[in-house]
Amino acid sequence: MSSGGGGSSEPSGVKKTSKRPKYSRFTQQELPACKPILTPSWVILTFLVAGVVFIPLGVICLFASQGVVEIVDRYDTDCVPESSRANKVAYIQSEGNKMCNRTITVTKTMKHPIYVYYQLENYYQNHRRYVKSRNDAQLRSPREENDVQTCAPEDNVAGHPIVPCGLVAWSLFNDTYQFSRNSEKLPVNKKDISWKSDRDSKFGKNVYPKNFQSGAPIGGGTLDPKKPLSEQEDLIVWMRTAALPIFRKLYGKIETDLNAGDTIMVLLENNYNTYSFNGEKKLVLSTTSWLGGRNDFLGVAYLTVGSICLFLAVTFSVLYLVKPRQLGDPSYLSWNRSPGG
Amino acid sequence: MDSRNSIDHHHHNDSISGVSSRWSLSSKDPPSEKSLSAIWDRSMLSMSQKEIKDEDARLVYINDAERTNERFDFTGNSIKTAKYSVFTFLPRNLFEQFHRVAYVYFLVIAVLNQLPQLAVFGRGASIMPLAFVLLVSAIKDAYEDFRRHRSDRVENNRLALVFEEGRFREKQWKYIRVGEVVKVVSNQTLPCDMVLLATSDPTGVVYVQTTNLDGESNLKTRYAKQETLQKAADLETFNGFIKCEKPNRNIYGGCELKNTEWALGVVVYAGGETKAMLNNSGAPSKRSRLETRMNLEIILLSLFLIALCTTAAATAAVWLRRHRDDLDTILFYRRKDYSERPGGKNHNYYGWGWEIFFTFFMAVIVYQIMIPISLYISMELVRIGQAYFMTRDDQMYDESSNSSFQCRALNINEDLGQIKYLFSDKTGTLTDNKMEFQSACIGGVDYSDWKSADSEHGGYSIEVDGNILKPKMRVRVDPELLELTKDGYATKEAKRANEFFLSLAACNTIVPIVTNTSDPNVKLVDYQGESPDEQALVYAAAAYGFLLIERTSGHIVINVRGEMQRYNVLGLHEFDSDRKRMSVILGCPDTVMDESYGDVIEETKKQLHAYSSDGLRTLVVGMRKLNDSEFEQWHSSFEAASTALIGRAGLLRKVAGNIETNLRIVGATAIEDKLQRGVPEAIESLRIAGIKVWVLTGDKQETAISIGFSSRLLTRNMRQIVINSNSLDSCRRSLEEANASIESNDESVALIIDGTSLIYVLDSDLEDVLFQVACKCSAILCCRVAPFQKAGIVALVKNRTSDMTLAIGDGANDVSMIQMADVGVGISGQEGRQAVMASDFAMGQFRFLVPLLLVHGHWNYQRMGYMILYNFYRNAVFVLILFWYVLFTCYTLTTAITEWSSVLYSVIYTSVPTIIIGILDKDLGRRTLLNHPQLYGVGQRGEGYSTTLFWYMMFDTIWQSAAIFFIPLFAYWGSTIDTSSLGDLWTIAAVVVVNLHLAMDIIRWNWITHAAIWGSIVAACICVIVIDVIPTLPGYWAIFEVTSTWMFWFCLLAIVVTSLLPRFAIKYLGEYYRPSDVRIAREAEKLGTFIEPQGTEIEMNQIGDPPRR
Repeated sequence: MSSGGGGSSEPSGVKKTSKRPKYSRFTQQELPACKPILTPSWVILTFLVAGVVFIPLGVICLFASQGVVEIVDRYDTDCVPESSRANKVAYIQSEGNKMCNRTITVTKTMKHPIYVYYQLENYYQNHRRYVKSRNDAQLRSPREENDVQTCAPEDNVAGHPIVPCGLVAWSLFNDTYQFSRNSEKLPVNKKDISWKSDRDSKFGKNVYPKNFQSGAPIGGGTLDPKKPLSEQEDLIVWMRTAALPIFRKLYGKIETDLNAGDTIMVLLENNYNTYSFNGEKKLVLSTTSWLGGRNDFLGVAYLTVGSICLFLAVTFSVLYLVKPRQLGDPSYLSWNRSPGG
Repeated sequence: MDSRNSIDHHHHNDSISGVSSRWSLSSKDPPSEKSLSAIWDRSMLSMSQKEIKDEDARLVYINDAERTNERFDFTGNSIKTAKYSVFTFLPRNLFEQFHRVAYVYFLVIAVLNQLPQLAVFGRGASIMPLAFVLLVSAIKDAYEDFRRHRSDRVENNRLALVFEEGRFREKQWKYIRVGEVVKVVSNQTLPCDMVLLATSDPTGVVYVQTTNLDGESNLKTRYAKQETLQKAADLETFNGFIKCEKPNRNIYGGCELKNTEWALGVVVYAGGETKAMLNNSGAPSKRSRLETRMNLEIILLSLFLIALCTTAAATAAVWLRRHRDDLDTILFYRRKDYSERPGGKNHNYYGWGWEIFFTFFMAVIVYQIMIPISLYISMELVRIGQAYFMTRDDQMYDESSNSSFQCRALNINEDLGQIKYLFSDKTGTLTDNKMEFQSACIGGVDYSDWKSADSEHGGYSIEVDGNILKPKMRVRVDPELLELTKDGYATKEAKRANEFFLSLAACNTIVPIVTNTSDPNVKLVDYQGESPDEQALVYAAAAYGFLLIERTSGHIVINVRGEMQRYNVLGLHEFDSDRKRMSVILGCPDTVMDESYGDVIEETKKQLHAYSSDGLRTLVVGMRKLNDSEFEQWHSSFEAASTALIGRAGLLRKVAGNIETNLRIVGATAIEDKLQRGVPEAIESLRIAGIKVWVLTGDKQETAISIGFSSRLLTRNMRQIVINSNSLDSCRRSLEEANASIESNDESVALIIDGTSLIYVLDSDLEDVLFQVACKCSAILCCRVAPFQKAGIVALVKNRTSDMTLAIGDGANDVSMIQMADVGVGISGQEGRQAVMASDFAMGQFRFLVPLLLVHGHWNYQRMGYMILYNFYRNAVFVLILFWYVLFTCYTLTTAITEWSSVLYSVIYTSVPTIIIGILDKDLGRRTLLNHPQLYGVGQRGEGYSTTLFWYMMFDTIWQSAAIFFIPLFAYWGSTIDTSSLGDLWTIAAVVVVNLHLAMDIIRWNWITHAAIWGSIVAACICVIVIDVIPTLPGYWAIFEVTSTWMFWFCLLAIVVTSLLPRFAIKYLGEYYRPSDVRIAREAEKLGTFIEPQGTEIEMNQIGDPPRR
């Protein structure tokens, strides 16, 4: 920087490659961007819209739920004879006739199809030991028949692999229901009660039950060794382990309408042992809506959240009118409020 | 005036040779703390073996590699910077990677999971995250190492001339051995560390450039020993041995030979023992404040994790206890396995106590991501991204040095947003370190009137042997003074002027290099030297007709207005920062000296004061005549000192001190050290930002204060407190007075303290008082600070406050300070690269600190703070969802969410957006941040990350996880829903909520952000679908079954709105009714309600700005 020309910074003939970063909006972090900020009007509008959408949705959900007719009949205790009620486990484990008659009164007309479920309570089909005790490869292909090591303690009988192996299959639910109205039989359609995908790809068409329920103790239902697994729909339904300790599983469908005041006789075979862990068994007849079964929770939840949104919209509006703040007013900045700070 | 600054000239008529008289010339340079002396310490390479202990020594037989390597096995010259070979790569790389605690945690969890009792995840799922991370790091390391291998190969195969069998033969570098003699020709690089034997120059001088070593481009001189010079002529018979220290870092190699035709040297250190390799240490490692701070929350999260695991284990224990008699009959438990023996054996059941124990550790495995290990990896990626943008910022590119910003430390980016104390060097940092000769005071008369003569005087040139010689740089001259020098020795004043410039031309370590120009008759004289002050002085002397033409170790040639004059250099006392002066002893014709001048000390003093008040660097020139006995006495002690093996530097200093007395003042020089562009504005911005600026300089108080004013560190309305004490007591008194005086009012005060006072303050109880005083001052100026005190001052502050400190400097003397401070910034300027090598960040100009701290620092801090909180939240939400489910699975750690989703959750489903946001999101624009430096306070106050925010986040986490979990739970209660379907719903709900949560906090939406957020959600859905099309997994087709029901979508909508509603409302209320500065600035930025200040701050960052003045 001396006066006159020829300072030392003069490039001495050698052309240096500039290391100047190439300019682009990306490298300078100046990409075009939208910068939304929460202004009162936007927030109030958002809550308003949420409220206006949620309340009708809640009403729709409630309507759907209310439209479902559901009959629940708990029978686990009632189907044990008075004399055996002191030791239900002994009763259920004993041999002999365990038939039981139940009478159900239809309170409201039920349009077909009417779904027949069994509902188990206090039954942990999601217990870690239980859900792990299965082998999905074995269900699918006869070649994997011997792949049973994850299935213990129901892996093999006298050295022969069990198909289907594992606790889940072993504990297959085996109460049966027969329905009649005015001594006229009501047929129960047990076809297509399972997922189509399960029948098609998950359970093999050439996998047949082997050594199933052949050793002691017996956990539940037996399977017809002549039918491939893909046709054993009760098993397929059962193998979709329930997520929650209170669950229903589809037993079948009644394809006729039931009228209000109809009395349905149920002939019930009480085989399944839930007594050893105070599990409850219920028979459920239910129609469905587009939203599923009868459950008001979602409707109530939508109504609640919608009301809260509306309430907040109103509150924020009032707050805004009572105590507005000039957006982006520099005088609110901390160093402008307290000079020198 | 400072009486230590003197220069002197002496005369002696007679000497033993009778040919020339001897006089000494010395100039002292106090204001700069720059070292004018070379670092090369020749004491180690004496030919006479004396003091080095045998066991510490290495014996090198010159020209006899066999014998040299016989007893000791010295390393060969092949270098290896690569870390791995093909075979060692895997074990060694893994070993190094597992030095990270995070990976060890991963590993322990993965190993735990392999125990059959604890196997929660399948083999693949449990190892995948660790394997993924290891693989990515390994690929990165392998690539880097491959590049090192390649450069090693190139380096090892370079050729050098080695003396073998009677002649010089070319040999590859890797085969060079210790003891061999190597010939290096001009512009070649030295293959290893060598001792110089002989050079093309008869005096044995050699010039080297050490750019490869330390980046300094100036030439340095090295000398061959006189003894070897003669002997080396006949290499065949030449032998001898060198005894030297074991390898250490003081010996050179890898530099380039310049300006010398050839040089012969014997190899003493080769390969990995050379200085270049020993110095080759990596970037310093520091930990960011935020990361340290974060550890507290990590501990909290660990406690939280332990609490969750304990709850799971305890509830499981209670259940097992209650059902202990039924375990064999419970259908979903079935303890006994009857398949092998009739009575049955317990299957996977080890008793009540063990079950609790196993449950606990299984819970640890399931909830492992509560400790967000992936956060550490994300942070590294984010920092790399941030560093990329910092280095690419073209507002931090320095045109003059062609250097862009460098991020040397990759782990403290966010610290830049929290700086509270700034320690700055002055010379080369605030100023350009380009010295300009401004004024001369000769015989007490000031000559600084160049303005009138500026244009007509086109620079000095002189014709020698038909060639025109011109100094490369022109200096403005004072016409009056120029006329005066032309009078020769006619008058007293003229004589003095001539002596003055002769001293300037002679007393330095400048090497003149004559270069050709396009005009064959015109040659340029370029002055190369290590000190810019010296360069300025020599150029000034040249402009007044004293053109230094040649310098060797034995003599100098000065062209005085056309007449060649040769002076023998009998001795040279190099500059050091303790003596703060240098001197040269010349033999010269005895015509000139005159002792009869009057004393000019008073006038010179006055003038010096005036100069330094103008912010100029001053030097005093003096000389003295040595008589025979003085000379002999000096000569013998000088010889003794320079050949001494131990404490040579100290001895030389003593010799110099003895001779540098009784100097007669000739005059003084004033050099302007120009402020860098934009420094005043930068300092003002930083001060407004609440950063306390300390300037540490070796300059005199007056100079320092005047620089303080010109750099706007000091302002006229500041009260100055000057502490200038000579004893502990007076120092204490003035500090306490100062402390008391500020307490009374809150005016703005500047503290000025000098190095002498600091001697008493540092390492004594006065440190506390000084700190108290300094806290109340808005500017602190430390002058006459010795290099070692700089680190002490930084430590003084750093140890007393939790606030962040930053040190910025450019020279070797700033290294300690840079390393001491939390953040060290190096200026890659005039003074070599030691500072840069020690620094965490390096840049070209001081003013880049403003965008670095106020813009990038602020962004990095805000981003990183948010990212840490978000990662805590993101993982905790997921863990809590898993935890709630345990309460409904008989406390057995079943996960409805598939194990693959658990693993991929923090790797794929939610990781990319947070990394992208951490790199790209900007809470405020650059312009706003620069215009309102106060916004920097956000980081200083730690508003971006605090325990309060952590707890706020955690409560939100609990609410959100509850909403995600319980809404579907109640909606599907008592229905046919299966585990997999519900798990898929939870997975997708969690991913959507977590990503929308982030989306809600994004400030700038550009296409990358959109892609990251929505892309992540889509990627998660795709992954869930892929997992669900595998028929051998229990969840086959569940996602299709569940999404085909309305229930799924109604649940999802309810979850998203319910979980984010409180946050949305609270965020709005907080931002609208208790707005932070950032929020207001954001509104103002968007709505344009900022009144743009008449901003110098912006201007200074524009690129094409014309230079100041």
